Amino acid sequence: PPANVGRAPGPPDGGWGWVVVVGAFISIGFAYAFPKGIAIFFKEIQDFFGTSYGEIAWVSSIMLATTYGAGPISSILVNRYGSRPVVIFGGLLCGIGMVSAAFCTSILQLYICVGFITGFGLALNLQPSVIIIGKYFLKRRPIANGLAMAGSPVMLCTLAPLNQFLFDNFGWRGSFLILGAILLNCCVAGALFRPIRAAPASVKPQVTEEGKDALKEEVTEEAMEMSSPTNVPMANKTEEEGGKDCCEKINQYLDFSLFKHRGFLIYLIGNVLMFLGFFAPIVFLAPYAKHIGIDEYSAAFLLSILAIVDMIARPTTGIIANSKWVRPRIQYFFSFSIAFNGTCHLLCPLASGYTGLVVYSIFFGLAFGMVCAMLFETLMDLVGAARFTSAVGLVTIAECCTILLGPPIGGTLIDTFGDYKYMFIKCGAVMVLAGSFLFIMNYYNYRMLAKEEKERKAKEEDPKSVRTENEGRNNWNKETAQDGPELEPLREEQEGLKKEVNGT
Amino acid sequence: GPDLTTQEFKQATKENMSNVTFVEYEVLLPGVPGTSMEKNITLDSATIIELSCRLDNKYSRLKRFQVTWKRGNETIRHIDKTENSWSIQLKILDSSKLGSYSCTLKGEEEISAVFYLQVPKIEGKEKPIVSYEGDSAIMICKSFGYTPIAWTWYMMNGSEQIAINDSLLADKYVINSVSANVTHLKILKLTKEDDGVYWCEAAFELGRSKGNLKLKVLSLMVPLKPFLAIVAEVVILVTIVFLYEMYSKKKEKCAEDEKEFDQAEQLKSEESNGLENSSARNRK
Repeated sequence: PPANVGRAPGPPDGGWGWVVVVGAFISIGFAYAFPKGIAIFFKEIQDFFGTSYGEIAWVSSIMLATTYGAGPISSILVNRYGSRPVVIFGGLLCGIGMVSAAFCTSILQLYICVGFITGFGLALNLQPSVIIIGKYFLKRRPIANGLAMAGSPVMLCTLAPLNQFLFDNFGWRGSFLILGAILLNCCVAGALFRPIRAAPASVKPQVTEEGKDALKEEVTEEAMEMSSPTNVPMANKTEEEGGKDCCEKINQYLDFSLFKHRGFLIYLIGNVLMFLGFFAPIVFLAPYAKHIGIDEYSAAFLLSILAIVDMIARPTTGIIANSKWVRPRIQYFFSFSIAFNGTCHLLCPLASGYTGLVVYSIFFGLAFGMVCAMLFETLMDLVGAARFTSAVGLVTIAECCTILLGPPIGGTLIDTFGDYKYMFIKCGAVMVLAGSFLFIMNYYNYRMLAKEEKERKAKEEDPKSVRTENEGRNNWNKETAQDGPELEPLREEQEGLKKEVNGT
Repeated sequence: GPDLTTQEFKQATKENMSNVTFVEYEVLLPGVPGTSMEKNITLDSATIIELSCRLDNKYSRLKRFQVTWKRGNETIRHIDKTENSWSIQLKILDSSKLGSYSCTLKGEEEISAVFYLQVPKIEGKEKPIVSYEGDSAIMICKSFGYTPIAWTWYMMNGSEQIAINDSLLADKYVINSVSANVTHLKILKLTKEDDGVYWCEAAFELGRSKGNLKLKVLSLMVPLKPFLAIVAEVVILVTIVFLYEMYSKKKEKCAEDEKEFDQAEQLKSEESNGLENSSARNRK
């Protein structure tokens, strides 16, 4: 029998993958841009229902909270059913939510229809799109991620004037009806997400030679264990299911063992901290501009500049992150972009007049795009594509709290001190702190991974350490908690060798 | 004609005018060359107002000027406030005194300034408010900075303005004042006939001011057409994607079947060769 009978094919890194990127572009674009784009209708709805601005703003907050908070549910569903059905269902849910919102007669109904239902639909769009990119790409994953994430600014630039046009011609009810139909296009994006059998090898092309070799041989054992359930279960699985305890069953749906994963914890803490200062400057950029005397249209134009620079920065960052110099050290690049973002905010109060703010907007757009493009790529890099499904769900629900807290804290600072500079200083300081934390902790993580790998190599050379396949797989969960993803291809090689010895 | 002079002012101060405001406005001449100096002054209640024109120091020493204050064709006697400024004082008690007042300095050149005294402007809405049959619509008018005495709403019926009486048609129109500066008109159970132009009128002590709003009433069919068009587009695209997928899977399967067939043929021929060889060996 040929030597590679036990190995599954690696991710295509192209071909249909690029079509999937287009679908993810649409899905991610709607998920991020829609809550912001809807703000155009708020004034009219506020007058119609006779509520205060605060009550209307809750619609946006509920939508954002649901999109991030429903992350784990999204992850569980993807683990169970794969990306495609979840995205199609999410698209339908969004459509239903907005269409029913068009017939609402109270603000509470709006909270439910626009906030919860549409928000939940968007959550079912966001996570699976990011996950399926990890399944289709490995070598070119940063580029794919960068391109897909570029959907957010592009959609925002499209939705803003479109919403205004719809509002002028159809009023808010008609606009919601038509927006419901537009959101159904997420179903088209979902239809493009063809299920793929093999999850890519969770390889981190690290400093070692083995890493580079593993990249060439794209093997995965995880694919057979934890990938889409359309796979025929292995013979051993029935034995395993008998021996599974409650924890493992839960972990199959949502991998809580990630909380023992060092890289995951570093990412989680760093990102939760970062999001405290991430969105507030965007929310307050236009009001700040108006505050220092710039007229409304020029202030709005600042946001357009930001969006345009963002649009270009994301794919560009993806290309840079994919280059052979940056990819092994992508975590450092990520930490650097967060710190760069923070520095922009710290320098913003020094910007005087409109020109200064334009320069700030350009740099902010650049930094924002860099961070967003690598947001999910770095997580994939740390935990590997198979566990990414659960990881992204757990991360988004943790980020949900700080995302919601960020702008109100900024707003409180502005109200208390009457000056915007404290908000910028707070955001800048938080992000520089987060960037530095991530930089230092990832340096530590890289060193620990290198050390563990050396230990593994030493063990491998010892013939007594060759275990049976079952034992190896049962120990899998415990081991992956400590090991980094780049060690898995080594183990795969080991398993492959064992199969050759044991198998046909 | 009537001479609005300081005489009347002296009379007024004798009467009880403690609740009348006194304001001063001054314009510096000549201002920007090539343009005429204009000032808009908003008055909502009875006011004593002093308007003055002052000449820039650079010019005063050079030439002598003849100063005239006018309202339309009437000349108003003015006071020489200082060496190079001249003013008039006006008692504005009703809308008849509002209008434009000008000061003209005739010398080698003619320099002038105009003061426009007017009631506060009311803000309506430039863009039409869109609503649907059977739904309700709210129209809001705001007065900035000045509180009107009363608000009245008018509807355009043909070319006539009809006042809206909300007590008469209480289940159709509801007029609300959220605050003194803001008025709401809520129209319930909209029909096509409610489509058109509406006016909100604020009454001030010194006159009335109007704001303009447009209401568009659409039928539910209007947004339904784009909605159905987009839904159709989505259904078509999804169908195309799935059909293409089934087609490419069939192609793959055909190609695989061909490969398997070729492989089976190869194996068969190898076997037969092997048998021949072994039988050849056996024979040997």
